[in-house]
Amino acid sequence: MGILRRFWIGAWSLVVGLKVTGYHLVRGRVTLFYPHERPDASHWNGPIELVTFPATGTHDCIACNACVRVCPSDCFTVEGKRPEGSKKMRATTFLLDFSTCSLCGLCVDVCPTDTLQYSTRYDEAFYTRGETVNDLLKPFGEDPTFAGKPT
Amino acid sequence: MTLLAALRGRLAGFVGDFLATWLLGAVLIMAFLAFNVLFLVLAERKLAGHFQRRVGPMEVGPHGSLQSIADMVKLLGKQILTPVATDRFVYLLAPLLIFLPTLCVASLIPLAGAEAFANQPYGLLVIVALSGVTVLSIFMAGWSSNNKYSVLGAMRSVAQVIAYEIPVLLAALSVVMIAQTTNLRQIVEAQHNTVWYVLVQPVAAILFFIGITAETNRAPFDIPEAESELVGGFHTEYSGMRFAMFFFAEYTNMLVLAALGATLFLGGWLGPWLPGPVWLLIKSYAVIFVLIWVRWTYPRLRFDQLMSFAWKVLIPVALVNLVVTAVLVHGIG
Repeated sequence: MGILRRFWIGAWSLVVGLKVTGYHLVRGRVTLFYPHERPDASHWNGPIELVTFPATGTHDCIACNACVRVCPSDCFTVEGKRPEGSKKMRATTFLLDFSTCSLCGLCVDVCPTDTLQYSTRYDEAFYTRGETVNDLLKPFGEDPTFAGKPT
Repeated sequence: MTLLAALRGRLAGFVGDFLATWLLGAVLIMAFLAFNVLFLVLAERKLAGHFQRRVGPMEVGPHGSLQSIADMVKLLGKQILTPVATDRFVYLLAPLLIFLPTLCVASLIPLAGAEAFANQPYGLLVIVALSGVTVLSIFMAGWSSNNKYSVLGAMRSVAQVIAYEIPVLLAALSVVMIAQTTNLRQIVEAQHNTVWYVLVQPVAAILFFIGITAETNRAPFDIPEAESELVGGFHTEYSGMRFAMFFFAEYTNMLVLAALGATLFLGGWLGPWLPGPVWLLIKSYAVIFVLIWVRWTYPRLRFDQLMSFAWKVLIPVALVNLVVTAVLVHGIG
């Protein structure tokens, strides 16, 4: 009794296994054709980037260095100067060394002008260490200090 | 068919009657088997993909249909390495030799009533004997590579094929007892008069299926080439076209044994409307589909589990099945 029953249970489990894979054979794919199709990355927290505010068409970094101070990994290099006739500072250099960034998000929380955010880039790849340093002002043109309409 | 006959007649003028038939048959079988390997590799990859809710190769050709041709070109273009420490003669001989028994067996499967390439009175026996030879070249490959993984894979392969040859033979023997002949063509004709033997001999059919899964070194019995333990098993040291020859032999062996199973249990070329060889191919590919299905369902067995499964379960069951068949055949007939 015992051995036959065990044999039957074992044999039946094999049939169940075939049923499981057979079920998935006739179902559709769950994968993406990756380079041709892109996944929805809107909830992805990628490398930090500067916000482009629609009202001004530019970022609002005042080079306060709050992010530099709060960053646990010393990722940021921020420099700024005060443009003529403006009360606020403007960033002239904003570098993020992504190879040391742990995406903790403290800079996003601490930014007084809310001009830092997570990007949705998820497939970055580099050949050299130097390329991991992102110039966050690059998207804002040749003269990032005065690009757009300063606030 | 008439074109073939004309071609054979033309050839016979140059090299004689026997050689013409031999050449034409060999070329036809080789051409078909080469096509079959390309198709099976693609089918395996596509099916594996779909079993895992992927799609398999998609980039080369429509739905990846030319992928195996691209792979073949890649293998042809690869450098062929010969490691220094090998037993050179045996090392070079093994990939050539592994293909020979499979090709012989392929020529012995009856395609249809009259067009069988070789009508042997002891066809089944010859096939079983020849498919046992495959293991020799596997062992040659493993031993001459002078690599511990290769030797381990080859030794496992020998132990496995010897163990699983017995239930395959016993399962086939119970069919022979009913059909009262070892001639494969007559076995199919006997099924034409009664029913397919899978209905008469379900236990033998299952044993045969398990046996050919092990004999073709496929999962869950792919112990000779267990990737996670043995790198590539017996063909670890082979590269380029030499590796492709092992691959070729493996997939050809799959088709041949599936065709043998279809002949013994599924009525061979019998079937309505379509010509005989087409039916045989359909049935063979159905068996291969189940082989692929099984491969992508079950995990690999451990070596001792494999051996004890053969010796403690399959062979006793096959023997009991054989004795019961003998008693019944004697009682009825």
